[in-house]
Amino acid sequence: MTAVARQLYGDFVRTFGSVFFAVSLFLVWGVLTLIGVIVAQGEDPNVYFQSYAAPIARAILRLNFDNVYHSPWYVGIIALILLSLAVCTFKRVIPARLPPLRPVSIDKIPLHATFNTPGAPEQVRARVAETLRAQGWRIRERIFGGVEWSFADKHNWARRGVLVAHSGFVIIAAGTTLYWARGFSGEMAVLSGQTQQVPQTQALVRLDDFSYKISPIMTKSGMVYQPIDYVSHVTVTGKDGIPKRLTVRVNHPIDVDGTLYYQASYGFGMRFLVTHNGRPDAALSGRTLLEGESFDVPGTQRSMLYERFVPTVDKQSGMPTADPRVNAPAVVLAASDAGNPLGEGLVPLRSWVDLGNGWRMKPQRYVIYSGFQYRYDPGVVLVGIGAFVLLAGLVISFYFLPARVYVRVDEVAPNVSRVGAAATTVKGYDVFANAFARLMTSLRGEAQDA
Amino acid sequence: MPLDELLIAVALCAYTLGALALLGYFFARTPWLRDVGIPLAILGCVAQFGQLFARWELTHVWPLLNLYGSLSLFTAMSVAIYIGFAFRYKLWFAGGFVLALAAIFLAYGVTWYEGTMPPVPSLQSYWAKIHVPIVVSSYAAFLVAFVFSCIYLIKYYAERRLQSQEGSGRGNPLARWLSSLPSLPQLDVVVYRAVAIGLPLISVGIITGAMWAKEAWGAYWQWDPKETAALFSWIIYLAYMHLHTRHSWRGLRTNWVSVVGFLSIIFCYLGVNIWISGLHSYKV
Ligand code: HEM
Repeated sequence: MTAVARQLYGDFVRTFGSVFFAVSLFLVWGVLTLIGVIVAQGEDPNVYFQSYAAPIARAILRLNFDNVYHSPWYVGIIALILLSLAVCTFKRVIPARLPPLRPVSIDKIPLHATFNTPGAPEQVRARVAETLRAQGWRIRERIFGGVEWSFADKHNWARRGVLVAHSGFVIIAAGTTLYWARGFSGEMAVLSGQTQQVPQTQALVRLDDFSYKISPIMTKSGMVYQPIDYVSHVTVTGKDGIPKRLTVRVNHPIDVDGTLYYQASYGFGMRFLVTHNGRPDAALSGRTLLEGESFDVPGTQRSMLYERFVPTVDKQSGMPTADPRVNAPAVVLAASDAGNPLGEGLVPLRSWVDLGNGWRMKPQRYVIYSGFQYRYDPGVVLVGIGAFVLLAGLVISFYFLPARVYVRVDEVAPNVSRVGAAATTVKGYDVFANAFARLMTSLRGEAQDA
Repeated sequence: MPLDELLIAVALCAYTLGALALLGYFFARTPWLRDVGIPLAILGCVAQFGQLFARWELTHVWPLLNLYGSLSLFTAMSVAIYIGFAFRYKLWFAGGFVLALAAIFLAYGVTWYEGTMPPVPSLQSYWAKIHVPIVVSSYAAFLVAFVFSCIYLIKYYAERRLQSQEGSGRGNPLARWLSSLPSLPQLDVVVYRAVAIGLPLISVGIITGAMWAKEAWGAYWQWDPKETAALFSWIIYLAYMHLHTRHSWRGLRTNWVSVVGFLSIIFCYLGVNIWISGLHSYKV
């Protein structure tokens, strides 16, 4: 390696292996995440121009903030975090070892204590070691320059907690990547009695029927129509070619050849009777429109949008109510001419609407549909394992503190020894201050009782 | 008055009076104020858990599925975690702030009381019984961390001001009062310990939330505003923990991060529920 390359490599390792750099990356990650909370995601570009001043809306769209979690920024920051994590793991976390056994200046270490106790040094040393051992410390004794030292270690294995936590994060990242590479998901609305094919799996899904249960409840702020249950009875034909009758409910998805199907939504399709000069138009009348779909009136520039279904219209006011149960249904229709909105109106079921040029239409019959979400995710097991590994790492790192106590015992007078002890931990001294004080009390107490 | 409403009223009164007593103790260090404040804190906490249990028994509906119920648990857990810390590390002086926040959040929660409603389909899951208490408990631990971070910052800046003033000898009452608080490193350790409860809990909370989402909505992660806001808070506390491993950042800076972290928790908890709708305000 040339000197320049070596220097560049050194700079790279120093930067990417630094905790401050990692925290800076977290900061950027956090800000991008927050942008996605505040800016509505995946909306039509017009929505941003309606909600924000034009320059901000343009910036949102240009910077991909309307789909920030799949933007190059977001993927890039995660990639940088993983890279930094890798550098740090190989350069710092794995090489981190237990400090070597060597003498220290007891009173230069912030956590230290010295006390005199009766007994010859060997006896006192043995008692101290026994007390520490009884509290789970591992004791090793060494002689340096004629002085005998005792080294007590605890939770040394927990130094690996950081590695465990970091591995958990990497495993989760691997699991989500697997989904991106190999998984798929989609949505479909299936009308009652209709069959649809899932494009990715060729599975056939037929909706036999859909039902929902709503409970009207009087609350302090008025009537609330609380949904209680949504149930789809389906017949699904998977790879084996055998149709199976299954039930899909919220919180109870079904599994067909590894792809899961979820109850996601429901709605009302509408059959319109469309006539021209009194004669039904077979093409337009034969279709069922879903909410949000429209048709063009032949020979005109007029277009009719079936905006939404209104299950119950108030008899007195003629206005839509919040009751989602179908009692007095109507539809909201919006008309436009050459793309210019003409207006919208509430049309009760089986009422005629004049469209001009001899065309008339009426909402004839509603057909309920069920919206399913389906998903195949081969990475989910990895993500699950990663989550638990990450959690184990957090618990190990936070609750098992690797610490070392250095002890030396010197004779100060016949049958009187001085015990000097100092402690260090991987997280500094303050977190161990109380525990060290308790430890010293027990050493003192035990030594004097003996 | 039904039992559960009576218990809430008891808790609110106990927290308010307890907050006044312990705030008095914080400033004046008069022991009897502490001896009045502590039992009130315990009484309020017991009344709250009693209330949640009573509501569950009376209605057979898991009581945490709306803001009223979850704020009840949040405040009860905040006080419970605080009481645990206070007994263990002798930190009664800080109780006034915890109880005052608990009283405010609880009073706010009561304004969301709508009576009992059966849960919507997406909430009819055993995950509701696991995920919600865990997430709310993590928020509670972060509240305790926040209170101690504020005390840390108050002490830090007050000490700095004292040092820059002339004649700030030992006779100065502010200096005397400050010395009655634990040292800055001790306060910092308390914050660390509270975050060390909150961070694993919010991690389990996010993981159980993901497991529930997978069952209810088809994907363990959908970038729903609530999920993402929780991820944002998680990232902040992760930054806290990493900074805390560095000696030079431990203290002033990490405590500011803890303050920002709690603000993000409040945003995630209340801000997202109220201002931003998403799957967590699931309509279907
Ligand atoms: C940018 C990438 C990252 C780098 C460079 C990095 C670096 C480090 C280092 C050097 C430590 C040990 C500090 C010490 O004890 O001296 C550490 C601790 C830790 N890291 Fe990371 N880290 C990164 C990302 C993550 C992520 C994504 C997670 C979570 C999944 C994580 C979780 C932890 C935990 C739990 C600890 C232990 C903290 C403690 O003991 O208080 N790290 N990290």
